[in-house]
Amino acid sequence: MAKEVERYSKATRYLHWMHAISFSILLLTGLILFVPALGFLAEDSWTRILHRIAAVLFVVAPMIYVPLNMKRSGRGILSAFKWGKEDIRWLLAAPRYYFLCDEEAMPPQGHMNAGQKMWWLIALVFGSLFVVTGGMMWFAKDTASPGLLQWAVIIHDVSFIVTMIMFFVHIYMSAVHPLTRPLKGGSWDSMFCNGKMSADFAKAHYAKWYEEVSENKDSG
Amino acid sequence: MTEKAILYDSTSCIACRGCQVACKQWNDNPLDKEENWGDCPQTADISASTWLKIMLNEAKSYGDDTFLFTRRACMHCTDAACIKVCPTGALSRHELGFVTYDKDICSGCGYCMEFCPFGVPQSTRNTLTGAAKMDKCTLCTTPGADRMSENYEPACVKTCPTDALVFGDRDDLVILGNQKVSELKDEGYNNASLYGENELGGLHVLYVLEDSPDRYGLPLTPEFPAMADVWQDIIQPVGLAAGGLLLAGLGLNYIIASRAKAAREKAAKKEV
Repeated sequence: MAKEVERYSKATRYLHWMHAISFSILLLTGLILFVPALGFLAEDSWTRILHRIAAVLFVVAPMIYVPLNMKRSGRGILSAFKWGKEDIRWLLAAPRYYFLCDEEAMPPQGHMNAGQKMWWLIALVFGSLFVVTGGMMWFAKDTASPGLLQWAVIIHDVSFIVTMIMFFVHIYMSAVHPLTRPLKGGSWDSMFCNGKMSADFAKAHYAKWYEEVSENKDSG
Repeated sequence: MTEKAILYDSTSCIACRGCQVACKQWNDNPLDKEENWGDCPQTADISASTWLKIMLNEAKSYGDDTFLFTRRACMHCTDAACIKVCPTGALSRHELGFVTYDKDICSGCGYCMEFCPFGVPQSTRNTLTGAAKMDKCTLCTTPGADRMSENYEPACVKTCPTDALVFGDRDDLVILGNQKVSELKDEGYNNASLYGENELGGLHVLYVLEDSPDRYGLPLTPEFPAMADVWQDIIQPVGLAAGGLLLAGLGLNYIIASRAKAAREKAAKKEV
């Protein structure tokens, strides 16, 4: 059996599952209001109720995760804001990788590559905006001023556009793109299955992280 | 079709509130809880089940302490922000110019409530689940209770004992309203005006007022909220275009990358 390294802890994988499910529901029930032709599906508020149930999942999951994994959460959140030269070089080389499948062009990366880090940063920022503006529309509908609620709608929608794009890119790049397949032993398994990634895949995609991990058994 | 309208003459209104009762009866709306203010049991404002209310504004007008009566209900704007922001099309333009409403397809999002310059749309809302239904005056065009298609006057107009409410072609009512205003001015009411002639592209409820509109609680210059345009004309098309381009781009990438990968594997095999 090929050598494997642990990449995501059980708690992290559960959190990811919760967000994958809740965000998909939130996206679909929100999309209905965004595409006029689908508007009829929102009749009688049932999508609003689903949207709220998913929103609760989306908010509660990290509220349970963070206190139980303080150290890991702190490190994870900080890492979204740590950007270096290697990250810029990775982004510049990304088109060669994703279009020409040129794996040698990529500079070595840490636990997250620059693309993942960008998505993680966007998820943090816009996820927070979603929660704040969504909370306003849910609980302050009768009390907040109309002007404030108008802004909440607009910010919620801009967040929707940005995260929807990145969400699809994220799924595509981690599960559909030719280089991610076969899924066995790659990113997919590490996040959705056993949390482990083959040593070969880790070396090829996260060289710096692989070095660290080989020294001290640490996972994110 | 010729646009219709209601002309409300505040100076002829005696605040009997017969129109409120007629509105409730015709539309089968239940009573709201009333609060007793002195001699006037009143609900505070219009609501999801009170679509029309005669407001009693205490004011000092032309040196006298008096009541200035006004009619609070949907204004049926030509430039209606509510129609623009409604995501399901529950609010739409009636052929007679009104803002008509199909309650069945309302999603309860409440955007109309936030964007209406007059604060007219009201809803019943379950705070926990968010389930909601908006309601407002439809100028008697509600499906199933449509007086317009039968060529009846609106219920409120039909019942008005002093002809403070008149229903007719909008163009005729603008002329009639302006006549009344000039008569008022001749009598010394210098601030008299016809409210709604040009506001928001022209309202389909016109007001003959003997004093300045703000004395009646009406906005002096009601404006179409700029944010309504941002949402419908910018964010929606940009979002749809971005989504479409993205899917096309990912598809294209898949084709190119699949070929590149196959070519590399072929080359690698040759080397071996």
